[in-house]
Amino acid sequence: MKTVGKMIGSRLSQLFIMIFVLSFFTFLLMKITPGDPIRSILKVDDVSVTTKKEEQLKKEYGFDEPILKQYGDWIINVAQFDLGESLISKKPVSELILERLPATLALAIGGLTVLFLISIPLGVISSLYENRWPDYISRWIALVGASIPSFWLGLLLMYFFSLKLQWLPMMGRGTFAHFILPSFTLGMAMAPMYISLLRERLITILQSPYIEAAKARGISKRRIVFFHALRGSLIPLVTMFGLSLGSLLGGLSVIEILFSWPGMGELIVQAVTQRDYPLIQGFIIVIGFLIVLTNLLVDLLYMVINPQIQQGKEARV
Amino acid sequence: MKKSYISYILLIFVMVFTSACSSSTSSQESEKKKSVKLLFSFASKTLDPHQDWMGVRAGIAETLVKIDENLEIQPWLADSWEQLDSTTWKFHIREGVTFHDGSTLDAEAVKRSFERLIEVNEAMNTNLKIATITANGQDITFQTTEEYPAFLSELIHTNASVIKVDTDKISEKPIGTGPFQVQSFTPESEINLVSYEQYWDGKAKVDEAKVTFNSDGNVRALALQSGEADIVYHLPPETLKPIEESKNLHVESIMSLRAHFLVYNSTNPQLQEENVRKALDLLLDRTTIVNEIMNGHATEATGPFNPMFAFSSDTEVVKSNPLKAEELLKEAGYVKNASGTLEKNGKPLEISVATYQGRPELPLIAQYLQAEAANVGIKINIVTVENIDTFLWEKQEDWDIATYSNLTAPRGDGGFFLNSAYVPDGSLNPGQINVPELTDTILQLNTTSNLEQRVDLEKEAVQLIQEHILHSFVVHPHIIVGVSNRVKNWAPGSEEYYILTNQLEVE
Repeated sequence: MKTVGKMIGSRLSQLFIMIFVLSFFTFLLMKITPGDPIRSILKVDDVSVTTKKEEQLKKEYGFDEPILKQYGDWIINVAQFDLGESLISKKPVSELILERLPATLALAIGGLTVLFLISIPLGVISSLYENRWPDYISRWIALVGASIPSFWLGLLLMYFFSLKLQWLPMMGRGTFAHFILPSFTLGMAMAPMYISLLRERLITILQSPYIEAAKARGISKRRIVFFHALRGSLIPLVTMFGLSLGSLLGGLSVIEILFSWPGMGELIVQAVTQRDYPLIQGFIIVIGFLIVLTNLLVDLLYMVINPQIQQGKEARV
Repeated sequence: MKKSYISYILLIFVMVFTSACSSSTSSQESEKKKSVKLLFSFASKTLDPHQDWMGVRAGIAETLVKIDENLEIQPWLADSWEQLDSTTWKFHIREGVTFHDGSTLDAEAVKRSFERLIEVNEAMNTNLKIATITANGQDITFQTTEEYPAFLSELIHTNASVIKVDTDKISEKPIGTGPFQVQSFTPESEINLVSYEQYWDGKAKVDEAKVTFNSDGNVRALALQSGEADIVYHLPPETLKPIEESKNLHVESIMSLRAHFLVYNSTNPQLQEENVRKALDLLLDRTTIVNEIMNGHATEATGPFNPMFAFSSDTEVVKSNPLKAEELLKEAGYVKNASGTLEKNGKPLEISVATYQGRPELPLIAQYLQAEAANVGIKINIVTVENIDTFLWEKQEDWDIATYSNLTAPRGDGGFFLNSAYVPDGSLNPGQINVPELTDTILQLNTTSNLEQRVDLEKEAVQLIQEHILHSFVVHPHIIVGVSNRVKNWAPGSEEYYILTNQLEVE
């Protein structure tokens, strides 16, 4: 228990360092990339503006000041829990992110549930029937899944389930039915990698001596797979999940935009295009925080899946 | 073990179907009411009409004046107006107009709305140039910081709409004077509207309306076919076939106020030569571009402005003529070298064309120009960039021509585009166009109030632009809207401002 407390403490201190480094480099990258939000603020494609006015506004917003000073001003505000306001919509960044975060998290959970429902059965079947037809089918599903871009998969699902069969709504949010197609698209887009990984891991584990010993004791194959092998093979999956959180968020944005899901996808894509600095920075902080937090949960999960990890640490302490 | 799995799967199915059924029951209930569903491409982050265009588009808020289907200025919340002197404008606010909360619209409310607008919207503050506002009963007087004859047409801007300012939920539930009032809003996803009973111009013919957003053209097309939307904006031409073939749907294709054009970089010595620009212009077969690249959903451009405007160009569409182009280049001193490329004083005519994917037809226009130019001995290199504006302004030595697209007369007056794109410090002039004669004409336009004189000056400017090929205007793209046949008494306008109206009806 002591170890757990220590780990949480060290992770939280790492979190602050990581967010500081992450936000600094994002800030630096944004500033050295050409372009600024002035043209978007002044809506130059819509109303008559002179370049002099653009320069004047640049000064007003302090975009001509040294990068370190701009970053310093921003981080001081962040330390006071003020993420600033969007340069384009003038709304507080925290409000813009928080009102969309629940929808994004809900879709992430939906996608992960589908991922779990698809990849575990297929991975298990594949390993149990290695190089036989159920394995081929499962590998074929994984291959097709990996080859289809998620936006296209989404369009196909919409075409069949919304347009042809009229079973499910195509887009938006409201009922549980609205939740199904985007969750499926997300889960199916992520599943192939997990199916393959689980299959490989299970095949290796099923050949290991302790499984052989279990078989020798007369324990049924199903029991061996579900109670012994599966537990051990979950660790690399959990690790991969922790590592692929960033790409999960990227995939979420695409799916949210496709299904008009009111999460953070559209907001952040527009913020990047319009160079809405405070909003991009705020997003980075929130996401960084979520990723560190999830990785912490992943580490705690390791201990649940395999208590030896915790014992091993204690032994070393 | 097996049993528990089966019951688990069954539970999921039950949950899915009960929820799917519950949504269909609620839609059955709402069918008793007349409702219309609009699907739009650009999502609204906020509903604040001072920040976003959807306030006017969805019939929530209204402006003092509006632009009609003939692109002429008409009264709206103001029923009359007069220009008292070069900087003073007086408007009479229509009697009997009420906000959605029942309060009466008077000049004081309009004043407060404008005060908020210039406080929260930097662009409109710059654009309207308001110095003072005085309210007296139903009369409101604006004084501009300088002589500004375009003030009246700039009031058409959807952000200049009048809303009630003493409410704290302007971004979610703005209180306007339009035929529809907001019931709920989910940013970037949907707006639910109900008709406003006391609307001054007669209650809307539909009881409720729903606006949804989706930035994917294929999804929008599918949504129209599945019945999830009745009016769908900005359909990609390649998605139209099943819609056109459907008995229940049709497509409206209307010329927009936008132009696709080529920007010439006048800091490039080769492009400073008028003959070179004229030759490049003659290589563009606009009809082929309309048919092959725009799939017929565009009109050949004869100048910057939509031909419906009185100030647009009267000339015919320039026909492609490669032979004449070759002659002009020869006249300018270009001869073909051993490799077949035109050159002058040992310098080959090699041009870099910048384009971007934001409008998929623009890279195709660049490729078309590249092929046509190669036939006469001009070498074109295409550079595709992510952010065209940043590239054009910050890398001015890296491009010679750019494909570009912009609204040219969004509020029925050419002043905006002429000032932005042709005056040396205009924010849409990355090519550094500086033609003193044209600048003088535009500056004169900026101080001319008389409408006829304005039209003459704008025409004069257009003539100069076309004569010297300062830009090559290619096409005016169409606004493509898919409409369900149950929608009656509705057609899209070129301006794209007034979409949900009180006249719109559904069967």
